Amino acid sequence: MTPQRGFFFDADRCVNCHACEVACQAAHGLSPVTHFRKVVEVWRGGFPEVTHTFVSISCLHCADPPCRRACPVGAISKLPEDGIVVVDRELCTGCRECYAACPRQAPQFGADGVMAMCDLCLGLGSMPACVAACPADSLFSGAMEELDDLAAKRGGKTIGGTEGPSMYVAHHGPELPIDALVIGEGDTVRHGGPPNRRQGG
Amino acid sequence: MCTVGVSERRIATFCAMCGPTAGCGIWAHVRDGKLVGIEGMKESPRNRGKLCPRAFASTQWLYSPDRLKYPLKRVGEKGEGKFEKITWDEALDLVAERLLEQKRKYGPESLAILSPARRSYSDYLYRFLIVHGSPNYGHSGICAVQRAFGLAYTLGTPRTMPDYARANLIIVWGANPVYSGTPQGALQSILDAKERGARLVVIKPEMQPDAARADQWVPIRPGTDGALALAMLNVAVNEKLYDEEFVDRWCYGFDRLVPHVQKYTPEWASAVCGLPVDQIVELARSYATTPAACINMGNAFDQIVDSSNAVRSVAMLMAITGHLDVPGGNIISAAPSAMPTVKSVHLRERYTQEMVDKLVGPEIPLRFQPFMEGTSSAYYRCLDSVLTEKPYPVRAIIAPGTQPTVITRGPQRVVEALKKLEFFVVMDVMQNAAMRWADVVIPVATMYECDHPFEAMGNWLMARNRVVERMGDYKSDYEFWLDLAVRMGYGADFWNGSIEACMDYQLGDFGMTMAELRSYPTGIVYESRPYRLGDFARVFSSRSPRLSGAPYLPQCKVAIYNTSFEEAGFSPLPEWRPPPESPASTPELIARYPLVFTDAHTSEVYNAGWLRNMPYLRAIQPDPWVHIHPETARARGIGDGDWVVVESPHGRIKSRAVFLPGIRPDTVMGLQGWWQGCAELGLSAYPDGSANTNNLYSVDPEKAFDPLVTAMPKQTLVEVRKA
Repeated sequence: MTPQRGFFFDADRCVNCHACEVACQAAHGLSPVTHFRKVVEVWRGGFPEVTHTFVSISCLHCADPPCRRACPVGAISKLPEDGIVVVDRELCTGCRECYAACPRQAPQFGADGVMAMCDLCLGLGSMPACVAACPADSLFSGAMEELDDLAAKRGGKTIGGTEGPSMYVAHHGPELPIDALVIGEGDTVRHGGPPNRRQGG
Repeated sequence: MCTVGVSERRIATFCAMCGPTAGCGIWAHVRDGKLVGIEGMKESPRNRGKLCPRAFASTQWLYSPDRLKYPLKRVGEKGEGKFEKITWDEALDLVAERLLEQKRKYGPESLAILSPARRSYSDYLYRFLIVHGSPNYGHSGICAVQRAFGLAYTLGTPRTMPDYARANLIIVWGANPVYSGTPQGALQSILDAKERGARLVVIKPEMQPDAARADQWVPIRPGTDGALALAMLNVAVNEKLYDEEFVDRWCYGFDRLVPHVQKYTPEWASAVCGLPVDQIVELARSYATTPAACINMGNAFDQIVDSSNAVRSVAMLMAITGHLDVPGGNIISAAPSAMPTVKSVHLRERYTQEMVDKLVGPEIPLRFQPFMEGTSSAYYRCLDSVLTEKPYPVRAIIAPGTQPTVITRGPQRVVEALKKLEFFVVMDVMQNAAMRWADVVIPVATMYECDHPFEAMGNWLMARNRVVERMGDYKSDYEFWLDLAVRMGYGADFWNGSIEACMDYQLGDFGMTMAELRSYPTGIVYESRPYRLGDFARVFSSRSPRLSGAPYLPQCKVAIYNTSFEEAGFSPLPEWRPPPESPASTPELIARYPLVFTDAHTSEVYNAGWLRNMPYLRAIQPDPWVHIHPETARARGIGDGDWVVVESPHGRIKSRAVFLPGIRPDTVMGLQGWWQGCAELGLSAYPDGSANTNNLYSVDPEKAFDPLVTAMPKQTLVEVRKA
C-alpha cells in the first residue's frame, strides 16, 4: 500500500478557537480571506436541546483525489512517498475545475488566481503549523498507520466517501453532516459574526 | 512558522496580545530585522508550545498602519483630532509641567490614571500616583476586583482555584476558558477531565464553545446568576446537603442563613432565571452531593448589579457543601512554589488615611480601601466627577491603553466629560478611539520592541527579549512612568529613570540581575510543590490590605453572616438585586422592549476594544454582531446576516444579526468594543459609537451600580428590528 500522511481530528475536544486557521495563514503568508484550513460549525436540534460541533478541515489528501481527476492540465498529483496532494503552480491555469470537484471546496485561489491549498506544511519542516498550534490537542497529523492507533484509542472513524479522505474524526454525538464540511471561496470577507456556519440536519 | 531558514533567527520572548493574564512563551522569527512569524514555546510551562489566534496574527499588530510612532500635541479643538508631531522629550516635559501646575493649584488628587485591566505595568501606575499623592487609580470595574472583593470578605482569600484535575463535576459559571487564556491550561484540564469521565456543566445564556462541549448547558437568563445561587443555597440548606462538621467548625452565622434563604425557592428562581425548577434543584443536588466538585466563577459575576450578593452566595455554597480545599474542589490555600517572590514596585506602605479619604469615587467603600491592588476609584466615577464636580473634579486623566468612550458605560456622557476635562493624556501603541479628545498622545512600544519586563507566572521566570528595533520616537509603558517621574522631581523613587535598575530591584530576592536572567533564553522553571490543603485556620485569619491590617474575616471563619458589611450599612446576608431592567423587575417595559440584551467583552478573536484592525482576526469576525435565536429573528422579519437596530430605553446600536440556535430565544447577545476599522479589508470604523453596546445600558446612579462594589451591569431590555 502507498504510504499516506493525513490527520486525526477529535471533535470532542475542538472548541472553535481558530488557532489552527490563523497559524496556517501566518505560516503560509496567506491573505486574510484565504483559508487552507477552516473550522466549520455544525448546529443540530432546537433550543434548549441543541448540539454545537466544530470540525477543523483542510485538504484531506484523499487516496483518489477528485481534484486530480478533474484537473484538465494534470497540475495536481500525489507525492509517492507520503501521498500528499500537491499542485504544480506553473501548470495550473486557474480554471477552478478542481474546486468544483472537491467535496470540501478546499482548493483556494488567491489574488493571482492560481490554485494553492494545504500541503501539510511541506517544505516548512516538522509538524504542520495547525497541529503545532492546537491548544485543545484536538488535531494531529502523521502517517495513517500511526493515526490508526490514535483512532482506535479515541474512537475515530475515517470520514467521507469513495475519494478516501485521509482524516479520522472522533466524535460522540449525532452523525456529522459530511456535505456541510466545506471550506469554500476564499476571495471575500464573510459577513456577520462567527463564520463558516452550516446548519446541519 | 515551522522552520528556521538560513537567514532567519528565532528569539525567545513572551506574548502580550491579551490581558491581564498574557505571557505565553513564544519564539519570534526574525528575518532582515523584521518579525516574520510566531511559534509557541514548548519550554514554557504556561502554554507548552500552544498559542491562540491573536498571537499568530501579531505581526499584523506590530506592523499595523495604525501604529503611533511619534508623540502628538493637540492643535485643534478637543474632539477634532488635529495634532502636530512633537518629540518624546517635548511630550514628557509638557505632561510634567501641566501635572505639577495642577498639583500646586488643586492638589495631587486632581490627577487620575485610568486602568485598562490588571497589567504587568499596573503597579507602575500605582507607584506614580502614590509618589504624586493621588489615590485615584480608576479601575475599569468590569473585571476581577468585584469577584475578588466578595470572595475575600467571605472566604478570607480572593483565590478559589478549581481543581479540575481531580474533579468529578466541573461547573463553568459565567466564565469562558476558551476565549480567555486559551492555551494556558484551564481549557486543557477541563477537556482532559471530561475525557476521563468528569461531568461538565456550563451556565451561561448562549452556547459558547465551552457549553458546546458540556454534558449539560444551563441557559440562564442574563444577570440572574445571583438568584440561581440563592436558590441552590435554599436547596442545600433545606435538604440538609451541607457539610455539618465544616459548617460547625468554620462558618459564622449559618443559623441566620437558614431562615434567610427560605424565600429564595427554586420556584422563585425559576421565574427569575428562566430555567426549569427541576434543573435548578438537580444542579444544587448534584453539586452538593458530588464530593469532588468545583466551580469556575467567571467574569459575568463582575458585570451584574447583584455582584456582591452573587459572589458571596457562590462562595458560601462552596463552603457549606464542603468543597473548599478538598481534592477536586476549589483550592483556597496558597500554591507553594520554590520560586522566590518578585519585589513589587507598588508603594502601598506609603498610603495614609488622608490619601485614601481623597478618593474621588471609591469603587468600594472607603472603610474597605485599599483593597488587593491598592486604592481604586471607579473608572466611570472618575470621568463623571469632571461633570458633576462632586466631591471635586478630576482635572487631569492619563489613559494608558484604555479607551473611555468605548469600554465604560454612558459613552455620550463620557464624551462630555472628556470635552470638559482640563488635561487628557492618551497612551497607546496605535491610534485609538479616545485620541480625538487628547491634549497629548504618547506612543508606546509593543512587546516585540521591549527588553523588559520579565514574566513571573506560577513557577516560571523569564526575561522579555527585544525582537525588533523601534520604528519611531517612543518607548515602553514602563519607561514612560520612569521618564515622567524624573521630570516631575520623583526620580529618587524611580531608579533615576533607569529601567535596568528597576528590573534588577524587582529581581532582588532571586540573587540575579536582569542581564543574568536573560542568559536563560527560555527562562527558569522552578519546582512546583503539591498543594497543602485544609490550612483553614491560616486562610480564614488572612489580613486585609486595609491600613489597619484587620483580617478579612473578623470571626476568622467563613462569613456567612457578614458583620463587616453589616457595620458598613450593607446587608449581612446576600439578597437578590435584579438588573436595572429585566422581565421580572420592570414588566412595564416588556411591551416595548421584549428581549433581554447582554454582551461579552471577549470573543474567539477579540479582547475588549482592540484587535479589530488585525486583518487575520477581522476576516473571522468582520462586523459588529448580535446573536439572536432564528425564531426570534424570523418573527421580526430579520434574516441571518441582516443589519439590525437594537434599541433599549437608554440608546441604540446597529449590528449584524447572526442566527444562533444555541441562545435563549428571549435573549440577544452582543460584543463590546467595536469602534475600529480595518483598512486592509475595506471595513470602516464606527467613530460615532453606533456599534458600542455601552449605549444600551443605564447609568442611573441608583440602579446601575452594585452599591458595595460598583459593579456595572451589562443587562437591559431591548427590541430588535431590521435596519
